[in-house]
Amino acid sequence: MAEPEQQRERCKTGIEALDSILYGGIPRSNTILLTGSCGTGKTSLALEFLIHGALEGERSMFVSVTEASEKLLANVIKYDFLDKSLLSSEKLIFIDLPLIYERLGLVKAELSMEEAGILASSIIDLVKELKIKRMVIDSITSIGYKLKTQEKIRDFILKLSKGLSALGCTSLLVSEVQPGTQAYSTFMVEEALADGIILMGNMERRGDLLRTLQVIKMRGTTHSRAKYVLDLTPAGVLLVPLLKGGGGGST
Amino acid sequence: MTLSGRVAAELEQIPPSAAISLQVGVDYYLDAIRAVLDIYAAKRDVDVIYITATISYQAISDILKALEIDTSKVHFIDCISHTMMGTSIGGTQVLFVESPTMLENIMLKTEYLLRKSKAKEKLVLLDSVNSLAIHNSNYVLSEFLHIFVSSLRSREVNTLIVTIIEHTTPELNNIVNLVSDSVIRVKEEERGGTA
Repeated sequence: MAEPEQQRERCKTGIEALDSILYGGIPRSNTILLTGSCGTGKTSLALEFLIHGALEGERSMFVSVTEASEKLLANVIKYDFLDKSLLSSEKLIFIDLPLIYERLGLVKAELSMEEAGILASSIIDLVKELKIKRMVIDSITSIGYKLKTQEKIRDFILKLSKGLSALGCTSLLVSEVQPGTQAYSTFMVEEALADGIILMGNMERRGDLLRTLQVIKMRGTTHSRAKYVLDLTPAGVLLVPLLKGGGGGST
Repeated sequence: MTLSGRVAAELEQIPPSAAISLQVGVDYYLDAIRAVLDIYAAKRDVDVIYITATISYQAISDILKALEIDTSKVHFIDCISHTMMGTSIGGTQVLFVESPTMLENIMLKTEYLLRKSKAKEKLVLLDSVNSLAIHNSNYVLSEFLHIFVSSLRSREVNTLIVTIIEHTTPELNNIVNLVSDSVIRVKEEERGGTA
Protein backbone atom coordinates (compact mmCIF):
# COMPACT_ATOMS: atom_id res chain seq x y z
CA MET A 1 0.00 0.00 0.00
CA ALA A 2 1.31 3.44 -0.92
CA GLU A 3 2.43 5.73 1.87
CA PRO A 4 -0.12 8.50 2.44
CA GLU A 5 1.35 11.62 0.85
CA GLN A 6 0.80 13.85 3.87
CA GLN A 7 3.24 11.66 5.79
CA ARG A 8 6.03 12.09 3.27
CA GLU A 9 8.63 14.41 4.75
CA ARG A 10 9.09 17.64 2.80
CA CYS A 11 12.15 19.59 1.90
CA LYS A 12 10.91 23.18 1.88
CA THR A 13 12.47 25.09 -0.96
CA GLY A 14 12.04 28.31 1.05
CA ILE A 15 10.49 29.87 -2.03
CA GLU A 16 7.10 30.54 -0.51
CA ALA A 17 5.01 30.28 -3.66
CA LEU A 18 6.83 27.19 -4.92
CA ASP A 19 6.29 25.42 -1.60
CA SER A 20 2.63 26.32 -1.90
CA ILE A 21 2.52 24.90 -5.46
CA LEU A 22 4.09 21.71 -4.09
CA TYR A 23 1.77 21.52 -1.08
CA GLY A 24 4.61 22.01 1.36
CA GLY A 25 7.82 21.45 -0.56
CA ILE A 26 9.73 18.83 -2.50
CA PRO A 27 9.31 15.34 -1.05
CA ARG A 28 12.55 14.71 0.83
CA SER A 29 15.24 12.74 -1.07
CA ASN A 30 13.67 13.37 -4.46
CA THR A 31 15.88 14.13 -7.46
CA ILE A 32 14.34 16.93 -9.49
CA LEU A 33 15.05 18.04 -13.02
CA LEU A 34 15.04 21.84 -13.09
CA THR A 35 14.84 22.51 -16.77
CA GLY A 36 14.55 25.44 -19.12
CA SER A 37 16.26 27.50 -21.76
CA CYS A 38 18.87 30.14 -21.05
CA GLY A 39 17.90 33.21 -19.05
CA THR A 40 14.90 31.64 -17.39
CA GLY A 41 16.27 31.81 -13.83
CA LYS A 42 17.26 28.18 -13.22
CA THR A 43 20.55 28.93 -11.49
CA SER A 44 19.04 31.68 -9.32
CA LEU A 45 16.20 29.43 -8.20
CA ALA A 46 18.57 26.55 -7.53
CA LEU A 47 20.87 28.75 -5.49
CA GLU A 48 17.98 30.10 -3.45
CA PHE A 49 16.91 26.53 -2.68
CA LEU A 50 20.38 25.86 -1.28
CA ILE A 51 20.63 29.10 0.69
CA HIS A 52 17.32 28.48 2.44
CA GLY A 53 18.45 24.98 3.25
CA ALA A 54 21.72 26.22 4.70
CA LEU A 55 19.87 28.85 6.72
CA GLU A 56 17.74 26.03 8.15
CA GLY A 57 20.88 24.18 9.15
CA GLU A 58 20.93 21.71 6.26
CA ARG A 59 24.35 21.53 4.69
CA SER A 60 23.98 22.39 1.02
CA MET A 61 26.26 21.94 -1.97
CA PHE A 62 26.35 23.58 -5.39
CA VAL A 63 28.25 21.59 -8.01
CA SER A 64 29.19 23.92 -10.82
CA VAL A 65 30.02 22.12 -14.03
CA THR A 66 30.79 24.84 -16.54
CA GLU A 67 31.25 28.08 -14.64
CA ALA A 68 33.79 28.74 -11.92
CA SER A 69 32.01 29.22 -8.58
CA GLU A 70 33.58 32.62 -7.99
CA LYS A 71 32.30 33.89 -11.31
CA LEU A 72 28.90 32.37 -10.65
CA LEU A 73 28.61 34.08 -7.28
CA ALA A 74 29.68 37.38 -8.78
CA ASN A 75 27.06 37.20 -11.52
CA VAL A 76 24.11 35.70 -9.71
CA ILE A 77 21.44 37.91 -8.14
CA LYS A 78 22.46 39.37 -4.78
CA TYR A 79 19.98 37.86 -2.37
CA ASP A 80 19.30 39.90 0.77
CA PHE A 81 19.22 36.70 2.80
CA LEU A 82 22.56 35.31 1.63
CA ASP A 83 24.51 35.35 4.86
CA LYS A 84 28.19 35.23 3.95
CA SER A 85 28.90 33.23 7.10
CA LEU A 86 27.12 30.29 5.44
CA LEU A 87 30.11 30.09 3.11
CA SER A 88 32.78 30.47 5.78
CA SER A 89 31.05 27.94 8.04
CA GLU A 90 30.70 25.59 5.05
CA LYS A 91 26.97 25.27 5.49
CA LEU A 92 26.89 26.30 1.84
CA ILE A 93 29.59 24.68 -0.24
CA PHE A 94 30.56 25.33 -3.85
CA ILE A 95 32.41 22.68 -5.80
CA ASP A 96 33.78 23.09 -9.32
CA LEU A 97 33.30 19.77 -11.10
CA PRO A 98 36.30 20.27 -13.43
CA LEU A 99 38.49 19.98 -10.33
CA ILE A 100 36.89 16.60 -9.55
CA TYR A 101 37.41 15.52 -13.16
CA GLU A 102 41.08 16.38 -12.77
CA ARG A 103 41.51 14.60 -9.44
CA LEU A 104 39.85 11.47 -10.82
CA GLY A 105 41.85 11.66 -14.03
CA LEU A 106 38.67 12.00 -16.07
CA VAL A 107 40.14 14.48 -18.50
CA LYS A 108 39.13 12.84 -21.77
CA ALA A 109 36.46 14.48 -23.91
CA GLU A 110 34.26 11.39 -23.59
CA LEU A 111 33.93 9.25 -20.48
CA SER A 112 33.45 5.50 -20.61
CA MET A 113 30.61 3.69 -18.83
CA GLU A 114 33.03 2.76 -16.06
CA GLU A 115 34.27 6.33 -15.69
CA ALA A 116 30.68 7.59 -15.57
CA GLY A 117 30.15 5.21 -12.64
CA ILE A 118 33.30 6.49 -10.93
CA LEU A 119 32.09 10.08 -11.32
CA ALA A 120 28.66 9.28 -9.85
CA SER A 121 30.27 7.40 -6.94
CA SER A 122 32.61 10.30 -6.24
CA ILE A 123 29.74 12.76 -6.02
CA ILE A 124 27.79 10.39 -3.75
CA ASP A 125 30.87 9.90 -1.55
CA LEU A 126 31.26 13.65 -1.27
CA VAL A 127 27.61 14.03 -0.25
CA LYS A 128 28.06 11.29 2.35
CA GLU A 129 31.34 12.63 3.71
CA LEU A 130 30.12 16.23 3.98
CA LYS A 131 26.64 15.22 5.20
CA ILE A 132 24.98 17.18 2.41
CA LYS A 133 21.20 17.37 2.58
CA ARG A 134 20.60 19.54 -0.48
CA MET A 135 22.52 19.50 -3.71
CA VAL A 136 22.39 21.24 -7.06
CA ILE A 137 24.28 20.12 -10.16
CA ASP A 138 24.44 22.95 -12.70
CA SER A 139 24.17 21.53 -15.21
CA ILE A 140 23.45 17.87 -15.80
CA THR A 141 23.39 18.72 -19.51
CA SER A 142 27.07 19.66 -19.43
CA ILE A 143 27.88 16.31 -17.80
CA GLY A 144 25.75 14.67 -20.48
CA TYR A 145 27.96 16.17 -23.18
CA LYS A 146 30.90 14.36 -21.59
CA LEU A 147 29.00 11.07 -21.45
CA LYS A 148 27.65 11.37 -25.01
CA THR A 149 25.33 8.35 -25.19
CA GLN A 150 21.87 7.92 -23.73
CA GLU A 151 22.94 4.63 -22.11
CA LYS A 152 25.76 6.27 -20.17
CA ILE A 153 23.65 9.26 -19.20
CA ARG A 154 20.83 6.98 -18.03
CA ASP A 155 23.27 4.87 -16.01
CA PHE A 156 24.91 7.94 -14.47
CA ILE A 157 21.66 9.59 -13.41
CA LEU A 158 20.18 6.34 -12.09
CA LYS A 159 23.22 5.63 -9.97
CA LEU A 160 23.44 9.22 -8.76
CA SER A 161 19.76 9.60 -7.84
CA LYS A 162 19.68 6.23 -6.09
CA GLY A 163 22.75 7.09 -4.05
CA LEU A 164 21.55 10.58 -3.15
CA SER A 165 18.11 9.33 -2.20
CA ALA A 166 19.62 6.71 0.11
CA LEU A 167 21.51 9.50 1.88
CA GLY A 168 18.37 11.62 2.27
CA CYS A 169 19.74 14.28 -0.05
CA THR A 170 17.22 16.31 -2.04
CA SER A 171 18.72 17.32 -5.36
CA LEU A 172 18.10 19.63 -8.26
CA LEU A 173 19.68 18.66 -11.57
CA VAL A 174 19.72 21.72 -13.79
CA SER A 175 18.95 20.89 -17.39
CA GLU A 176 19.39 23.18 -20.36
CA VAL A 177 17.09 22.98 -23.34
CA GLN A 178 16.98 24.95 -26.56
CA PRO A 179 14.44 27.79 -26.68
CA GLY A 180 11.19 26.72 -28.30
CA THR A 181 11.74 23.00 -27.80
CA GLN A 182 8.94 20.82 -26.44
CA ALA A 183 11.43 18.50 -24.72
CA TYR A 184 12.36 18.70 -21.05
CA SER A 185 15.99 17.78 -21.63
CA THR A 186 18.70 17.66 -24.25
CA PHE A 187 19.36 13.92 -24.19
CA MET A 188 15.72 12.86 -23.73
CA VAL A 189 16.46 10.46 -20.86
CA GLU A 190 16.85 12.84 -17.93
CA GLU A 191 13.13 13.54 -17.47
CA ALA A 192 12.16 9.88 -17.32
CA LEU A 193 14.59 9.23 -14.47
CA ALA A 194 13.85 12.27 -12.35
CA ASP A 195 11.30 12.20 -9.52
CA GLY A 196 10.09 15.60 -10.55
CA ILE A 197 10.28 18.14 -13.34
CA ILE A 198 10.15 21.89 -12.82
CA LEU A 199 10.00 23.64 -16.17
CA MET A 200 11.12 27.23 -16.47
CA GLY A 201 10.55 29.20 -19.62
CA ASN A 202 10.29 32.48 -21.42
CA MET A 203 6.84 33.28 -22.71
CA GLU A 204 6.34 35.91 -25.33
CA ARG A 205 2.99 37.67 -25.22
CA ARG A 206 2.19 40.64 -27.41
CA GLY A 207 5.87 41.58 -27.50
CA ASP A 208 6.42 41.17 -23.74
CA LEU A 209 8.76 38.47 -22.49
CA LEU A 210 7.66 36.83 -19.23
CA ARG A 211 9.62 34.33 -17.17
CA THR A 212 7.44 31.34 -16.32
CA LEU A 213 7.54 28.30 -14.04
CA GLN A 214 5.44 25.14 -14.16
CA VAL A 215 5.71 21.95 -12.14
CA ILE A 216 5.19 19.18 -14.68
CA LYS A 217 5.71 16.20 -12.42
CA MET A 218 6.51 15.57 -8.76
CA ARG A 219 6.45 12.08 -7.32
CA GLY A 220 5.21 11.82 -3.77
CA THR A 221 2.88 14.79 -3.73
CA THR A 222 -0.03 16.36 -5.48
CA HIS A 223 0.85 19.73 -6.95
CA SER A 224 -0.43 22.55 -9.08
CA ARG A 225 0.24 22.08 -12.79
CA ALA A 226 -0.62 25.67 -13.64
CA LYS A 227 1.84 28.07 -15.19
CA TYR A 228 3.18 30.90 -13.03
CA VAL A 229 5.06 34.08 -13.85
CA LEU A 230 8.20 34.69 -11.86
CA ASP A 231 10.50 37.52 -10.99
CA LEU A 232 14.04 37.26 -9.69
CA THR A 233 14.46 39.77 -6.90
CA PRO A 234 16.90 40.35 -4.03
CA ALA A 235 14.09 39.05 -1.79
CA GLY A 236 14.12 35.79 -3.72
CA VAL A 237 12.13 34.19 -6.51
CA LEU A 238 8.58 35.54 -6.53
CA LEU A 239 5.70 33.87 -8.36
CA VAL A 240 2.20 34.91 -9.35
CA PRO A 241 -0.37 33.04 -11.46
CA LEU A 242 -0.22 33.60 -15.20
CA LEU A 243 -3.32 35.52 -16.24
CA LYS A 244 -5.30 33.18 -18.47
CA GLY A 245 -6.84 35.99 -20.46
CA GLY A 246 -3.42 37.22 -21.53
CA GLY A 247 -2.85 34.52 -24.17
CA GLY A 248 0.64 34.01 -25.63
CA GLY A 249 3.00 31.11 -26.23
CA SER A 250 6.27 29.75 -24.90
CA THR A 251 9.69 30.13 -26.39
CA MET B 1 -13.22 70.81 5.79
CA THR B 2 -11.33 70.75 2.49
CA LEU B 3 -12.12 68.19 -0.16
CA SER B 4 -8.86 66.40 0.55
CA GLY B 5 -9.69 66.41 4.25
CA ARG B 6 -13.11 64.93 3.61
CA VAL B 7 -11.69 62.16 1.43
CA ALA B 8 -9.03 61.43 4.05
CA ALA B 9 -11.74 61.25 6.71
CA GLU B 10 -13.63 58.72 4.61
CA LEU B 11 -10.45 56.72 4.16
CA GLU B 12 -10.05 56.66 7.95
CA GLN B 13 -13.27 54.66 8.14
CA ILE B 14 -12.13 51.81 5.89
CA PRO B 15 -11.55 48.50 7.64
CA PRO B 16 -8.33 46.47 7.21
CA SER B 17 -7.97 44.38 4.04
CA ALA B 18 -10.50 46.52 2.19
CA ALA B 19 -10.55 47.39 -1.49
CA ILE B 20 -11.97 50.83 -2.20
CA SER B 21 -13.03 52.22 -5.54
CA LEU B 22 -11.80 55.82 -5.56
CA GLN B 23 -13.87 57.52 -8.26
CA VAL B 24 -12.31 60.86 -9.03
CA GLY B 25 -13.57 63.71 -11.16
CA VAL B 26 -10.92 64.78 -13.62
CA ASP B 27 -10.56 68.21 -12.00
CA TYR B 28 -10.11 66.75 -8.54
CA TYR B 29 -7.41 64.23 -9.21
CA LEU B 30 -4.74 66.07 -7.25
CA ASP B 31 -7.11 66.68 -4.34
CA ALA B 32 -7.70 62.94 -4.15
CA ILE B 33 -3.98 62.11 -4.34
CA ARG B 34 -3.25 64.69 -1.64
CA ALA B 35 -5.94 63.14 0.53
CA VAL B 36 -4.40 59.69 0.21
CA LEU B 37 -0.72 60.54 0.51
CA ASP B 38 -0.47 63.77 2.43
CA ILE B 39 -3.28 63.40 4.95
CA TYR B 40 -4.37 59.77 5.32
CA ALA B 41 -1.08 57.89 4.80
CA ALA B 42 1.16 60.42 6.51
CA LYS B 43 -1.10 60.63 9.58
CA ARG B 44 -1.31 56.87 10.01
CA ASP B 45 2.32 56.14 9.12
CA VAL B 46 1.24 53.92 6.26
CA ASP B 47 3.66 52.60 3.63
CA VAL B 48 2.16 53.34 0.23
CA ILE B 49 2.82 51.42 -2.96
CA TYR B 50 1.81 53.77 -5.74
CA ILE B 51 1.24 52.02 -9.07
CA THR B 52 1.31 54.66 -11.73
CA ALA B 53 0.03 53.74 -15.17
CA THR B 54 -1.14 57.20 -16.17
CA ILE B 55 1.89 59.43 -15.85
CA SER B 56 5.51 58.57 -15.32
CA TYR B 57 7.18 58.34 -11.94
CA GLN B 58 9.29 61.36 -12.81
CA ALA B 59 6.22 63.45 -13.63
CA ILE B 60 4.15 62.41 -10.61
CA SER B 61 7.17 62.79 -8.38
CA ASP B 62 7.70 66.37 -9.63
CA ILE B 63 4.02 67.19 -9.12
CA LEU B 64 4.00 65.84 -5.59
CA LYS B 65 7.15 67.75 -4.80
CA ALA B 66 5.58 70.97 -6.13
CA LEU B 67 2.56 70.34 -3.92
CA GLU B 68 4.94 69.78 -0.99
CA ILE B 69 3.57 66.31 -0.38
CA ASP B 70 5.92 64.09 1.59
CA THR B 71 6.73 60.98 -0.46
CA SER B 72 9.31 59.48 1.85
CA LYS B 73 7.03 56.52 2.61
CA VAL B 74 5.80 56.09 -0.93
CA HIS B 75 7.26 53.50 -3.28
CA PHE B 76 6.34 53.76 -6.92
CA ILE B 77 5.76 51.14 -9.57
CA ASP B 78 6.00 52.90 -12.90
CA CYS B 79 4.26 51.03 -15.72
CA ILE B 80 4.50 53.70 -18.36
CA SER B 81 8.04 55.14 -18.65
CA HIS B 82 9.42 52.14 -20.55
CA THR B 83 6.56 52.26 -23.02
CA MET B 84 7.21 55.94 -23.63
CA MET B 85 10.91 55.15 -24.09
CA GLY B 86 11.38 57.48 -21.14
CA THR B 87 13.97 57.35 -18.46
CA SER B 88 14.02 54.25 -16.31
CA ILE B 89 16.60 55.52 -13.86
CA GLY B 90 14.65 56.59 -10.85
CA GLY B 91 16.60 55.75 -7.72
CA THR B 92 15.53 53.66 -4.80
CA GLN B 93 11.90 54.73 -4.64
CA VAL B 94 10.74 53.32 -7.94
CA LEU B 95 10.53 50.01 -9.75
CA PHE B 96 9.70 49.85 -13.43
CA VAL B 97 7.36 47.50 -15.24
CA GLU B 98 8.17 47.34 -18.92
CA SER B 99 4.62 47.76 -20.12
CA PRO B 100 1.12 48.24 -18.69
CA THR B 101 0.26 44.97 -20.45
CA MET B 102 2.55 43.07 -18.06
CA LEU B 103 -0.06 42.87 -15.32
CA GLU B 104 1.63 39.89 -13.69
CA ASN B 105 4.76 41.98 -13.27
CA ILE B 106 2.74 44.67 -11.50
CA MET B 107 1.70 41.97 -9.03
CA LEU B 108 5.28 40.75 -8.69
CA LYS B 109 6.73 44.21 -8.07
CA THR B 110 3.99 44.87 -5.51
CA GLU B 111 4.78 41.59 -3.79
CA TYR B 112 8.45 42.54 -3.66
CA LEU B 113 7.73 45.94 -2.13
CA LEU B 114 5.35 44.43 0.41
CA ARG B 115 8.08 42.05 1.48
CA LYS B 116 10.52 44.90 1.88
CA SER B 117 8.12 47.06 3.85
CA LYS B 118 8.47 47.00 7.60
CA ALA B 119 5.37 49.13 8.20
CA LYS B 120 2.48 47.67 10.12
CA GLU B 121 -0.05 49.21 7.78
CA LYS B 122 0.30 49.12 4.00
CA LEU B 123 -1.73 50.62 1.19
CA VAL B 124 -1.65 49.94 -2.54
CA LEU B 125 -2.83 52.79 -4.74
CA LEU B 126 -3.63 51.72 -8.30
CA ASP B 127 -3.67 54.81 -10.51
CA SER B 128 -5.56 54.20 -12.68
CA VAL B 129 -7.72 51.43 -14.03
CA ASN B 130 -8.65 53.69 -16.95
CA SER B 131 -5.03 53.76 -18.10
CA LEU B 132 -4.67 50.00 -17.71
CA ALA B 133 -7.88 49.59 -19.72
CA ILE B 134 -6.25 51.36 -22.69
CA HIS B 135 -3.69 48.57 -22.93
CA ASN B 136 -5.66 45.53 -21.71
CA SER B 137 -8.99 43.93 -22.51
CA ASN B 138 -11.74 44.12 -19.92
CA TYR B 139 -11.53 40.35 -19.55
CA VAL B 140 -7.87 40.26 -18.54
CA LEU B 141 -8.24 43.42 -16.47
CA SER B 142 -11.07 41.82 -14.54
CA GLU B 143 -8.98 38.69 -13.97
CA PHE B 144 -6.03 40.79 -12.85
CA LEU B 145 -8.06 42.86 -10.38
CA HIS B 146 -9.68 39.78 -8.90
CA ILE B 147 -6.37 37.99 -8.28
CA PHE B 148 -4.50 41.12 -7.24
CA VAL B 149 -7.10 42.41 -4.79
CA SER B 150 -7.73 38.94 -3.33
CA SER B 151 -4.01 38.50 -2.78
CA LEU B 152 -3.71 41.90 -1.08
CA ARG B 153 -6.73 41.18 1.10
CA SER B 154 -5.17 37.95 2.29
CA ARG B 155 -2.15 39.96 3.40
CA GLU B 156 -4.32 42.55 5.16
CA VAL B 157 -3.28 45.26 2.75
CA ASN B 158 -5.75 47.98 1.78
CA THR B 159 -6.22 48.76 -1.90
CA LEU B 160 -7.40 51.98 -3.49
CA ILE B 161 -8.44 51.62 -7.12
CA VAL B 162 -8.56 54.95 -8.90
CA THR B 163 -10.97 55.55 -11.76
CA ILE B 164 -11.50 58.87 -13.49
CA ILE B 165 -15.26 59.38 -13.56
CA GLU B 166 -15.45 61.11 -16.93
CA HIS B 167 -13.42 58.39 -18.64
CA THR B 168 -15.03 55.35 -17.09
CA THR B 169 -17.46 53.20 -19.03
CA PRO B 170 -20.26 51.37 -17.19
CA GLU B 171 -18.51 48.08 -17.97
CA LEU B 172 -15.26 49.27 -16.42
CA ASN B 173 -17.19 50.51 -13.41
CA ASN B 174 -18.71 47.06 -13.02
CA ILE B 175 -15.28 45.43 -13.16
CA VAL B 176 -13.99 47.67 -10.37
CA ASN B 177 -17.16 47.43 -8.29
CA LEU B 178 -16.97 43.65 -8.41
CA VAL B 179 -13.76 43.66 -6.36
CA SER B 180 -14.46 46.73 -4.23
CA ASP B 181 -15.99 46.84 -0.77
CA SER B 182 -17.07 50.44 -1.05
CA VAL B 183 -16.83 53.56 -3.16
CA ILE B 184 -15.42 56.97 -2.36
CA ARG B 185 -16.62 59.42 -4.97
CA VAL B 186 -14.80 62.71 -5.46
CA LYS B 187 -16.69 64.91 -7.87
CA GLU B 188 -17.70 68.49 -8.51
CA GLU B 189 -21.00 68.83 -6.65
CA GLU B 190 -19.38 67.47 -3.52
CA ARG B 191 -16.63 70.06 -3.64
CA GLY B 192 -18.78 73.13 -3.28
CA GLY B 193 -19.70 72.49 0.32
CA THR B 194 -16.38 71.20 1.56
CA ALA B 195 -13.55 72.95 -0.25
